[in-house]
Amino acid sequence: MRGNFTVNGKKCQFEFQADERLLISLRNNGYTEVKNGCMEGECGACLILLDGKPVNSCQVFTASAVGKDIKTVKGIGSLHQPHVIQEAFVEAGAVQCGFCTPGMVLATYSLLQNNPNPTEAEIKSALDGNLCRCTGYVKIIEAVKLAAERLQVNGGYHE
Amino acid sequence: MKELKWYYPKTLADAEILVQQKNVLPHGGGTGLLLRNLTGVDGLIELYQLPLKGIKRSGNIIKIGSLCTYADVVLEMRKIKPDHILEKCLRHSANTPLRNRITVGGSIAMFPPWSDLIGALIVLNARVSLIGENPGDFPIERYIKDKILRQNTMFTVVKFSLADWHSAHYREVRTSSDMPIFNHTVLLKITEGRIVESRLITVGTATKYTRLTKVEEYLNGLQINSIDGTEIEKRVSLKFTGSRIDDPAYTSIKAGIELGRMIQQMVRS
Repeated sequence: MRGNFTVNGKKCQFEFQADERLLISLRNNGYTEVKNGCMEGECGACLILLDGKPVNSCQVFTASAVGKDIKTVKGIGSLHQPHVIQEAFVEAGAVQCGFCTPGMVLATYSLLQNNPNPTEAEIKSALDGNLCRCTGYVKIIEAVKLAAERLQVNGGYHE
Repeated sequence: MKELKWYYPKTLADAEILVQQKNVLPHGGGTGLLLRNLTGVDGLIELYQLPLKGIKRSGNIIKIGSLCTYADVVLEMRKIKPDHILEKCLRHSANTPLRNRITVGGSIAMFPPWSDLIGALIVLNARVSLIGENPGDFPIERYIKDKILRQNTMFTVVKFSLADWHSAHYREVRTSSDMPIFNHTVLLKITEGRIVESRLITVGTATKYTRLTKVEEYLNGLQINSIDGTEIEKRVSLKFTGSRIDDPAYTSIKAGIELGRMIQQMVRS
């Protein structure tokens, strides 16, 4: 099968099997920042934004995402121009092995778009689909708070 | 091996024709079909272009499109009637990214044993609208029990009436995002300190769900300050089976205790 998608603002076409998952299609087409963790929708390592909403790409048939807008973590910032959230994660010490980080960053991005000043409970709720085996989550929550603070100072997202 | 074929209907009329084909299933974006083996499935009908999203209120009737996700239901029901039982049932179901994919339609059609949705819809006396081989409007209990009714059909809307219920939902889970081993949904109508009507259900039992009619009989007509939790527990006798149940007898006792506690907490608040 073949289908058109918009990934990180660029139109592209993928070839994929009829029962293929979006996670696999993305990785096969070079978007390896989307990580394969559990293939069960539990860990959040494969989290992407699909039409603006955070979803586990391992739980999406590629065929079901044809024509849709997909954002991976590389779509919000780069090595040379990191997003405020990416910087906050580094500064807060919220990255150890880094495997959960792309998913965590995107979940944070989605949270702060809808709720620029979340409470700790709201942060934990928004990131409830992202597991981390390294950090114990404390630094991750600090990173989210730091990002929220900085985004408010900077006047929010500019897209 | 025959390759799975995808269909992308743009109208409900097109979808209705497709769903009547043999071995072709509707897919609304949920996770149910990903979990099951697709052997024997020749085609999937991708529904996202169809007008099946949205939650509408018409007087006291709520209509939920089958493509609404759990996240959609939580958000919209919060606006329509804060603390509605549907919001209570779904807000902790699965996790944030999964709630953005799990659909009302898929959940009803597949009715997994850990469903947080079905119990609430049954006690709300919800009805489903179907298109396909068996078009029409049916009580949800009939839809989930009748395999023949479900064949080669898809449902478009589920509806129920808004009423003033005191409500609560309990999930027996090990962690907050776990799939429940069982769950209780309770609706109570209370007038001048007396329970005038009660509707109670447990989902996850050996028969998929069980209405707690003996508890309902006990509660109806009772003053809320004379509710005895142990009397509730005595009237709960549930059968549990399956690999997720370590000890069916213990689970049944626990179900009774949690129900008693839940109802006492409801009336206290």
